[in-house]
Amino acid sequence: MRRSAAAFLAVLVLVSCAHGAGDEPAAGHTHTHLDTADGKPDRVIAGPQGGRGQFVVECGFSHVGTDDPIVHPGRPGASHEHVFFGNTTTDAASTLVSLDAGDTTCEQQLDRAAYWAPALYDGSTMVTPVKSTAYYRAGLDVDPTSVQPYPSGLMMIAGNAAATAEQPLEVVAWTCGAGIERSTLPPECPPGRNLRLILTFPDCWDGVHLDTANHIDHVAYSTGGACPSTHPVAVPQLQFSVEYDHTGPIDGLALTSGGLLSGHADFVNAWDADKLAGEVRLCLHRDVVCGVTSGKTTS
Amino acid sequence: MTSKALAVIGALSLLATACGGDGSADTATTAAAQTTAAAETTAAPDTTAAPETSAAVDTTGVGGDGVLEVPAEFATIQGAVDAAVPGDLILIAPGTYNEAVNVTTDNLTIRGLDRNTVVLDGNFELDNGIRVLGAKGVAVENMTATNYTSNGFFWTGAEGYRGSYLTAYRTGDYGVYAFDSVTGQLDHIYAAGSPDAGVYVGQCFPCDAVLDQIVSEHNGLGYSGTNSGGNLLIINSVFRNNRAGIVPNSGSYELCYPERQTTIVGNVVYSNNQPDTPAIDVALLAMGNGILSAGGVLNVIERNLVYDHDKSGIGLVPFLEEDPNDDMPTAAEWDMPCTEAKQQPVNDPGGALLWDSQQNRVIGNVLENNRVADILVASAGTDVSTLGNCASGNTFTLSLPKNIETLAPCDGTGSGDWKDGEYPIATWLGETHPPSVDWKIATLPPLQPQENMPDAATAPANPATNVPYAVDLAAITVPAKPA
Repeated sequence: MRRSAAAFLAVLVLVSCAHGAGDEPAAGHTHTHLDTADGKPDRVIAGPQGGRGQFVVECGFSHVGTDDPIVHPGRPGASHEHVFFGNTTTDAASTLVSLDAGDTTCEQQLDRAAYWAPALYDGSTMVTPVKSTAYYRAGLDVDPTSVQPYPSGLMMIAGNAAATAEQPLEVVAWTCGAGIERSTLPPECPPGRNLRLILTFPDCWDGVHLDTANHIDHVAYSTGGACPSTHPVAVPQLQFSVEYDHTGPIDGLALTSGGLLSGHADFVNAWDADKLAGEVRLCLHRDVVCGVTSGKTTS
Repeated sequence: MTSKALAVIGALSLLATACGGDGSADTATTAAAQTTAAAETTAAPDTTAAPETSAAVDTTGVGGDGVLEVPAEFATIQGAVDAAVPGDLILIAPGTYNEAVNVTTDNLTIRGLDRNTVVLDGNFELDNGIRVLGAKGVAVENMTATNYTSNGFFWTGAEGYRGSYLTAYRTGDYGVYAFDSVTGQLDHIYAAGSPDAGVYVGQCFPCDAVLDQIVSEHNGLGYSGTNSGGNLLIINSVFRNNRAGIVPNSGSYELCYPERQTTIVGNVVYSNNQPDTPAIDVALLAMGNGILSAGGVLNVIERNLVYDHDKSGIGLVPFLEEDPNDDMPTAAEWDMPCTEAKQQPVNDPGGALLWDSQQNRVIGNVLENNRVADILVASAGTDVSTLGNCASGNTFTLSLPKNIETLAPCDGTGSGDWKDGEYPIATWLGETHPPSVDWKIATLPPLQPQENMPDAATAPANPATNVPYAVDLAAITVPAKPA
């Protein structure tokens, strides 16, 4: 019931957005994404690493651009400004074929996925991202042996670029450094502990669509360790963390998607398919820790 | 990674499958062995011969002698590993292997015929040379791994592991890495050029492991062990010219805190001030120290030779965790096995944690020319006299606080003024250090030939089912100063 209502709303949003975006090709405040309040995870994975199977990919900052190949495919400049990680070629024209041919900023050279998030500004200056970290795990309480790799070309969005109220911490959270403490607005971080934005992506897929008109309906969050019958395929739960080169006051900060409550991130799976399948099988199915990020350069 | 390179790997994948792979192995692991121009060995693997060779071979490795030869019988190490059954020996001939090998079969022995010319090369593209994932009893011996973006040799979730006569050179995280693994042995290791640690054992208690005859240099840390300990011995080894030498530490960012009961005996630890290594943040922070317990408890540091450090020879210092993931266990919980600790709920402590080094014993070490102090005991707020650390029988010039062996003898009651020579350890947090150098290009000592294991060609399979060996700690004396 709620999902169909949400889908209807999404169509309206998209229509209005497409119109607005045409008028303001580089606008920083286009509203494109559906509120995910009806589809958030019931709990979020946090706390010390090392207790559950995972694989982790750290990627350097690649480039900035007003493109969004999920929401505005084929329309360069139609989006608010994004910071891109992973695939170095990601732009409005990106396809799975073009991404497959691209290079990557990730330490894991076989991860050519496209990851992006809104740019963060401090006044009129963009805050340079330091890096991104992608944690891939089974969703909380999901049987790890049931997790399947993402299909190539799967597109997902976490968080709502149009949000003007607080989003669920289970989906969008800010932290200083890598600690357990998460908040809906950026905290004022002390020196040495950079501000991070953490997005938790859906971990259930409908098994059919790589994308849908509102970019949301083909994926869902698990609840109580189970995927809904409409989205029966458990896929890895991606927690995506963007580290910004920022500490101190948040007074001048704003995301290009609008304010500080519009945190979101996008993902297009362009992993080497065999490598991704291997990591799912070797790390998640066997429930072993294939990597941790602790101790790495953080500032 | 270019599409052309991918096409090559894809093609090699097919070969690997034909050679006995399970068909679902990931791409990196099935990247077949390729010779490089640099590897002028007579027995170099030739991928073009792979299909014919493998077709003629009993790919199960069972009907034969339990010895799976690479490349004679299997073009790739991964192909042999996938075909092997528990107890088998995979024997690798000299050559350069561009593979990232994953191991999920118990009780394998994976051995190079020659440590110096059996080279796994990640070409800065592949992640781990050999990665053992939850398999028990896997021994890896007598080979070199270099240019991997993550680790040279990696065991995770293993019960029973052994790495012997291994060389790890220029790797993106660790050289030799045992995480969440117990009952192990790492011996005759050479590790250089990792931004984190040359050798790491973490998240285990009790670890039941022996690290013996290691040489670790030009890494961020010579040894690192977060939240490890419990019958964990680091003995008879050399840690030199790293940013910092032996650095066990506690922290709630991984499980099974605190680090405790690591026994460090008979090592030579010197000149760990190296400014041009790759280095993670912690290595920068710890720079200039020989043996540094960072929030560790109940460690024994005995009969080591420690010299030429800008800061301390042996330091018992706090680890400040500003963004913790759990609250700190009480002393009453220090004996909780890791398996049990993993089941405990986590609590947001609502602020930074200061992991103090407590109840460590520093005995009979020989220390010289450690320029802040030969022996340093410090906290950042806690009364350091209450932490229960002790020192006795060391040969040294300066301790901070002064006269540490009078203040805190290991047998008997101490006396004196702990404020005399109290060290402001918090100043370390504000210091700057020469920045990390990219691990891919950092200047390293040229790789010298390393000692081979005895009888590599003829020794039988030796899975890690009988480790670690018993150590007579009392027989270990302070090592002589190297020439």
